[in-house]
Amino acid sequence: MPEHKSDVLQGTLDLMVLKTLESMGALHGYRIARRIEQVSANALSLNQGTIYPALLRLEQRGWVAAKWGISETGRRARFYSLTRSGQKQIQKETENWERIAATMARFLASSR
Amino acid sequence: MQSIRVLIVRFASLFRKQRLDQDLEDELQAHIELAVEEHQRRGLPAEQARALAVREFGGVTQTRENYRVQRGLPFLESIWHDIAFGLRQLRKNLGFTAIAALSLALAIGANTTIFSIARQLLYERLSVPHPDQLRMLRWNGDSSVVIHGMWGDFDSRPQGGMTGSIFSYPVYQQLRAHNNAMRDLFAFKEDGVNATVRGTAQRMAVAMISGNYFAGLEVRPQIGRTIQPSDESVPGAGTVAVISDGLWDRAYDRSPSALGQTIKVNGTQLTIIGVNPKGFTGAKDVQTSPDLFVPLTMQPLIDPKGRNGTLLQANDLWWLNVMGRLRPGVSEAQAQTALGVQLQADIRATMTMHAGDTMPKLVLAPGNRGLHFADGTFKKPVNVLLALTGFVLLLACANIANLLLARGAERQREMSVRLALGATRKRLLRQLLTESLMLAAGGGAGGLVLGYFVRNAIPGLMTNAWERTRLNIPFDWSVFAFCSAVTLLTGILFGFAPAWFAARAEVSSSLKGSAQSTTRRRKGASGKSTVAFQIALSMLLVVGAGLFVRTMWALSAVNIGFNPDHLILFEIQPPAARYPPGKDVQLHERLEERIAALPGVESVSLGSEPYIANNYENSDFLPEGESFAQDRQQGRGEAEFNNLVGANFFHTMQIPILAGRSFGAQDTATSAKVAIINQALALKRFPGVYAIGKRFRADRDPRSPWITIVGICANTHYASLRKEPPAQFFLPYVQQRDVGGMVYQVRTPMAPAAFAPELRQVVASIDRDLPVIDLRTQREQMDATEQVQRALAALTAGFGLLALALACVGIYGVMAYSVAQRTNEIGIRLALGAHPAHVRAMVLRESLWIACVGIAAGLLAATGLTRLVRSMLFGVGPYDPATMAIAALLLLVVGLAASWVPARRAAGIQPMEAIRHE
Repeated sequence: MPEHKSDVLQGTLDLMVLKTLESMGALHGYRIARRIEQVSANALSLNQGTIYPALLRLEQRGWVAAKWGISETGRRARFYSLTRSGQKQIQKETENWERIAATMARFLASSR
Repeated sequence: MQSIRVLIVRFASLFRKQRLDQDLEDELQAHIELAVEEHQRRGLPAEQARALAVREFGGVTQTRENYRVQRGLPFLESIWHDIAFGLRQLRKNLGFTAIAALSLALAIGANTTIFSIARQLLYERLSVPHPDQLRMLRWNGDSSVVIHGMWGDFDSRPQGGMTGSIFSYPVYQQLRAHNNAMRDLFAFKEDGVNATVRGTAQRMAVAMISGNYFAGLEVRPQIGRTIQPSDESVPGAGTVAVISDGLWDRAYDRSPSALGQTIKVNGTQLTIIGVNPKGFTGAKDVQTSPDLFVPLTMQPLIDPKGRNGTLLQANDLWWLNVMGRLRPGVSEAQAQTALGVQLQADIRATMTMHAGDTMPKLVLAPGNRGLHFADGTFKKPVNVLLALTGFVLLLACANIANLLLARGAERQREMSVRLALGATRKRLLRQLLTESLMLAAGGGAGGLVLGYFVRNAIPGLMTNAWERTRLNIPFDWSVFAFCSAVTLLTGILFGFAPAWFAARAEVSSSLKGSAQSTTRRRKGASGKSTVAFQIALSMLLVVGAGLFVRTMWALSAVNIGFNPDHLILFEIQPPAARYPPGKDVQLHERLEERIAALPGVESVSLGSEPYIANNYENSDFLPEGESFAQDRQQGRGEAEFNNLVGANFFHTMQIPILAGRSFGAQDTATSAKVAIINQALALKRFPGVYAIGKRFRADRDPRSPWITIVGICANTHYASLRKEPPAQFFLPYVQQRDVGGMVYQVRTPMAPAAFAPELRQVVASIDRDLPVIDLRTQREQMDATEQVQRALAALTAGFGLLALALACVGIYGVMAYSVAQRTNEIGIRLALGAHPAHVRAMVLRESLWIACVGIAAGLLAATGLTRLVRSMLFGVGPYDPATMAIAALLLLVVGLAASWVPARRAAGIQPMEAIRHE
């Protein structure tokens, strides 16, 4: 584990979830949480539980769909998958996020 | 779009709560199990795997809570909880709820009713498209304004001079021909006619209108067509009529076959060409519609007036109302200036200006409510009623606030517990406000129902007994909006202070047993000042009611000078086209004779004016040897009230002849002219002289024969009960050249309904087209003249009683609460040897003190406010000490009576129980 863990920024978790579903297809909540931990190389301090309100929020907006299914280990679990409007949302949020990141990078570079 | 979707999803989730909760449980459970499995696969023992899974997950409970907040609508849910809890609270205190809701319902109902009436009478606009564009042409003139001959809507101005909204026909035509300032100008005149509809003769209101009237108002007929400019081209042409929706309904049963049928109007046959839309009332009035609309060119035929009977060429008689719409792009001030210049040119072109004559100044007045006639009669009384109902509402609010304060103190423990358990004060405030808003909603619903049923009863109080037209007060969204707004406002008004106090409860002190006594003083004081405020308001309402009721008594105690009982009145209006001068007198003579012969008739007479009907006529009165110039110099009036009467007038009306003789069969059209004067006239114009045998003239023609005074009669009231009996003189109608319409007085023990059939038969046997108009008793006539006053007295008396009842409840509530709070203290007093009578006196003294403060404040406010209604009072001054004293006494008695029960309860406290109770 690294020494320093970042807090998850408001709104970034949504994009991480969407992106995860885009690359992995339908997943249940635990797998999504694990995947985010792995991709971020455990650099984020994320309580796994916090992804459930986030999943609900995405579901309410119609970006993900959920249905009950059976896990790889034969356990009943709720599987989430990306919808069409979720796909579009990824594009929008990605652009938005890159713009912010680029702006921040310029700021940090100039003030150095 | 997105947010609406989310809102709907979240709202929908409220209805599947249990199912969704179970899903969440399952999902979280699955998460933990999946994590445990994975950790075990990596070789962790079961216990450690589970512990790690739970740690990685974070707080399960917190997640669940966050999830639920995200899922539903927490704000809505907590409101729902508040409502459910509030309902339980209100049901628990059923007595309190009933009293509070009932008093609110009465107060809100009264406000809603008066509001709906005020809106209809004072604010309703003409039912035409864009009524706010309409302007009524008016003029203001000084005392020597060139306009002398007027028929219709004119008035003297308070600062001197005249004002009117009437024009001569030639001036109207000139104005219209040269008008660029406004869109087309149209004209109308409302009048009364005898109309025979399907064989029944009746009196009807008619609007004589210019051909562009309907186009100008932008009104289309229900069926048929409206009157067109081509109908109004030549005087005497255009024998067509558009009828009102009301007449269509009444006489033709809404059948399209009404079109093409004829109506005989003052002897002229008119063909019905169209029916006005429902709700259209003409341009003059918002309340009632004339039944007939005919072209202006009908005037010489249906109501001949002036030289040759026509007003269409008359330059000197001003009689026609003129209206128009503002033209886009022309300001109102520009239009007024342009029309003003045009008016002066038109006057110069059509009238002869004498030296000293001045020009009137044209003004544009709002036309969206026609001439707003109702204002004059109803504005003041309706405003008084609005103010009084406002007071009643305030009183009811104070009452409930008071009861809530007392109850809030009882619930202090509950509030403290809830605060201690972590509720915020804001949350408590919201809970308590929700409760009072629910109470208000209950009262508001009751008030709405009350208003719905009462609204048509009150205009009934304001219109007279015999006319078929009834004001119809609409009950629509604006009334509902008003009622809702008032309800919301009252809920906040009476709920906020008690909620504020209750939510300020201290956690620690209230949970300790002794909390009651530490906070009692402040709470008690605020409750008492509310009660004092209530008593002051009640005082105002009772004083108001007292003044109006005493006015009513004073009016009914007036000695009118004749016997108004068993006296039936009705009118006969012979149309001038059919009954030219001389013929009308003969008609009345025949009718008088035939009616006198009817069974049950004791005696019959007729006069040119009904008494106590706000009608009067006067004429010049010049005794022999005096001149008008001399009279004017000595400040004597030139004209006196007069009445043209039948020979049996004094006998029928039972007016005593004090000296000389009454009229009789010897006074005929050809005999010497005679007159009878009343005592007041004898004193005024013949002071210290025996007036009988004196002669006078009633006009300015030096060739007309002298009239000899043959009798002096007792004084009677004339136009109203409010003015002192004026000087009057009487002339036999048979000695007049023409009299026109007359009012008949029939003394008979029969009721009007029993008398009517035979009377109608007699009149119809002489002229089938002659209606019997306004059949009523003299008593009904007098009541109608003071109808608004009677309604005001009845309503204010009702409000006064309501105020007393509310004050009673308020005082009882506060004293009962105060006694209950002091049970402990009173018990100790009694244990230490205080006499029960002393305890009783102590409680009574307290309420007496509150009552006195309230009464004093109320008296102070009353003396400030009653001044405003001075002009509406009769026989009683605005500061009438008797009314004030009785009102004060009444409230004192109510105060003592309301606190009697709590006082007895205090005196009956058992010391041991009271002390042990604590």
